[in-house]
Amino acid sequence: MQCAESLRVQAHFDGQVDALCAAEIERHLEHCAECRALLQNLEEVRTRLRRDVSYEGAPPELRSQIMCALDLEVGAVRDIAAAPRRIARGSALGRGRVFWSAIGGGIGGAALAAVVGALLFIPRVDSPLSGEIVSAHVRSLMPSHLIDVVSADKHTVKPWFAGHADVSPVVADFDSQGFKLIGGRADYIDHQRSAVVVYQHGPHVINLFSWVGTHRLPSNATRNGYHLAFWSQGDVEYCAVSDTSWDELLELVRLLREQA
Amino acid sequence: MMDDKRARFEAQVLPHLDAAYRFARWLCPAAGEADDVVQDAILRAFRGFDGLRGSEAKAWFLSIVRNCHLTAAKQQQRRAFVPLPEESDAVDGHAMIATTPNPESDSILSDQKQVLERLMASLPQEHRMVLILREIEEMDYAQIAAVTGVPIGTVMSRLARSRAALKSKWLKEVEGKPRAVR
Ligand SMILES: [Zn+2]
Repeated sequence: MQCAESLRVQAHFDGQVDALCAAEIERHLEHCAECRALLQNLEEVRTRLRRDVSYEGAPPELRSQIMCALDLEVGAVRDIAAAPRRIARGSALGRGRVFWSAIGGGIGGAALAAVVGALLFIPRVDSPLSGEIVSAHVRSLMPSHLIDVVSADKHTVKPWFAGHADVSPVVADFDSQGFKLIGGRADYIDHQRSAVVVYQHGPHVINLFSWVGTHRLPSNATRNGYHLAFWSQGDVEYCAVSDTSWDELLELVRLLREQA
Repeated sequence: MMDDKRARFEAQVLPHLDAAYRFARWLCPAAGEADDVVQDAILRAFRGFDGLRGSEAKAWFLSIVRNCHLTAAKQQQRRAFVPLPEESDAVDGHAMIATTPNPESDSILSDQKQVLERLMASLPQEHRMVLILREIEEMDYAQIAAVTGVPIGTVMSRLARSRAALKSKWLKEVEGKPRAVR
């Protein structure tokens, strides 16, 4: 039914044939109306697709998550190389691969935390709490770990914590100041169900951890490229973590403290 | 040494991030899934980067995106205990935006865009894939074959069938509607 030359006509249309073949097909087109109609259809479909299909590229948040994941990948291999005693079994690269495939395979949160902790943080533990928080922050940046309740409305996020965390933190939106509330999450920190309020600041994610205060707070620190700012309000202790600049992170801290 | 590898990776592979994202969006119907797939693909690509030769970075990277999508789809299938439809006749609901366009408020152009996206979504995935790679990413047959993992002959016949299907679906859509757009 269909002309036997139709696939060659299409190949010609797609610029996939040499000059000799192209000349043959041009001759065929002169006396085959069916193939001329085909050519016109191909042209039409192309025009429509190129005009109407969206050319939207990767969103900036994804781009920055990817750069962050590459940082970790490079950093993980480097850390292992610097601590040869920790990898008695397997090569540095082999261990790195286990790390990522564990994440890709979606293993449980606690096991994942252990892997992340072992790889990135154990060699230079100073405050266990800081390590735990950075580890939780990194974990949250992995695909689909960031938010349990997606909402820009504090009246949705705040009550959600009541059933899911051991603490009731300050929840506020500072969209007009550039810190957009995007949701909340419960995370296990310091043996309790910590409430995490998640903000977006430009391409950066800021996790605001909170828990019931029990000990002396560590001082502000930068670990693995992430800044950690600690403070307490009443009996609740907070830590804001992000790869945004110190100035911006401390600005959010100031806004939050004003809320109390 | 790692930093050097990373610099080469950023120069050769990251320029194709937008293409990878667009491709993943057409592969994965659910919101947010494309992000996961692309992120997964980047790490796999980085780890396998030493094996990349020549200038075929784009096809190489997109084939990794496709593999990551397959892996994710299989995992999801296992988790949900719901069988996925056979890939050959998989019709998913990608970009099901407005099925009832509102001619009063929508411009004709955005109306056309929505219709086209819906028609594209109704094509079997493997047909949609070759169409996007050819017409939007402007890849040649050999590159498309590399990305999709099928022989060039199959690429050609899938292209022919998907173009014909899109054209006839479009005609049906236009004739079926009183407020037809050309
Ligand atoms: Zn013919």
